[in-house]
Amino acid sequence: MGSNISHYLNRFKACLKIDQTIRDGVAEELYTHLEDKSRELEENGLSKEEASKIAVQSLGSPELIAQQIYETHAQGSWKEALFSALPHFLVALLFTSYYWQNIVYVSIMLALIVGIAIYGWHRGKPIWIFPWLGYYLMPVVITGILLLSLPQGWGWIAALIYIPLALFVFIHIVRQTARRDWLYASLMLAPMLVTLTWFSSLGSGNELLRDGIWLAGLQTNALWIVISFIALAAATIAFIRLKARRYKIISLLIPPLVILFSVTMASRGNIDYWGWLILFFSLSAFAIPVWMQARAYQ
Amino acid sequence: MNYGRELLKGNTDSLLLCLISRQPTYGYQIVKELEKRSNGYFQFKEGTLYPALHRLERDNLITGKWQILANGQQRRYYYITERGQQVLASRLATWQDFSTAVKAVMQAETI
Repeated sequence: MGSNISHYLNRFKACLKIDQTIRDGVAEELYTHLEDKSRELEENGLSKEEASKIAVQSLGSPELIAQQIYETHAQGSWKEALFSALPHFLVALLFTSYYWQNIVYVSIMLALIVGIAIYGWHRGKPIWIFPWLGYYLMPVVITGILLLSLPQGWGWIAALIYIPLALFVFIHIVRQTARRDWLYASLMLAPMLVTLTWFSSLGSGNELLRDGIWLAGLQTNALWIVISFIALAAATIAFIRLKARRYKIISLLIPPLVILFSVTMASRGNIDYWGWLILFFSLSAFAIPVWMQARAYQ
Repeated sequence: MNYGRELLKGNTDSLLLCLISRQPTYGYQIVKELEKRSNGYFQFKEGTLYPALHRLERDNLITGKWQILANGQQRRYYYITERGQQVLASRLATWQDFSTAVKAVMQAETI
């Protein structure tokens, strides 16, 4: 492969943030096109270097082609958008009707999430899977937090055994997702952001399980929690339906703002440590996948 | 913007469907064929071809398959689907009606 062609294809691949298999397929297609064109120009008397240079020029900007290909592949159908938002609507429904206190409804919901997430993971990770994966990972994280609430000493021992295992599963899934596109990783981490923000705003450590403070807090703030998950559902639909990458990023910024507003309203403006937690989780949800993707491209 | 270019942009999908319906073909051949059949009138911007092909494939109007040629080279050939044939037939009918109407108006204007 000539240096002009290989440089062109590297620029193209660096800009195209879609499923790696599709990306490599399109790059291969462009490569065969450039080879055909170069060969024809060489037969007309040009040197190999000149031929590949003209071939690359006639194909045009690799960034522009990558953007147009991205817009073709990144936009999901309405069906996919609604299915992606479905887990958020279901969680909102749990809180609307106080079904979250019913172990049967919660178990059905959990089984549904686990089933659909595993099915999607093994069916080529379609665009709708990421919010489901986010909920799938939630019990892994919440169990770790709850372990810290065990009686003195035991909490840390349990957490020390559990945390490495949980981190392994968590990092593996986030890394796999970010390798495809860090935006999908952010979409996946968004439900966790909402849940952990509400968790942290309702109490910390042993307070979580003591005297039903946490349960009472959930009940009191159910309306604001519902609003948070509805905002997440709306942002997910917008994310899947929008074509341009910059608009997708903007759509992902909506939930943290709504949650910040909801938590502020629920606490009547009394922001303390959890206010910082919101910012921390919001930034992590975006920064971790960006960092992981940068490493994957190295 | 150039009027001819605007017309080509609006009809790119129909032209691609028409060419692919005649025989399965690949990207570079499509560019050459368009140029040849239009006697050089359609100078297709090569970079815009692949996003258009992928858009048609996403809409299930064509389907692409990698094939290995006798010389070992790989090429992605595009085939028209049943849905693509239906859409093409409908677009051809619309185009013929449109072109007849435009001709009738324009000719009356030039007489």
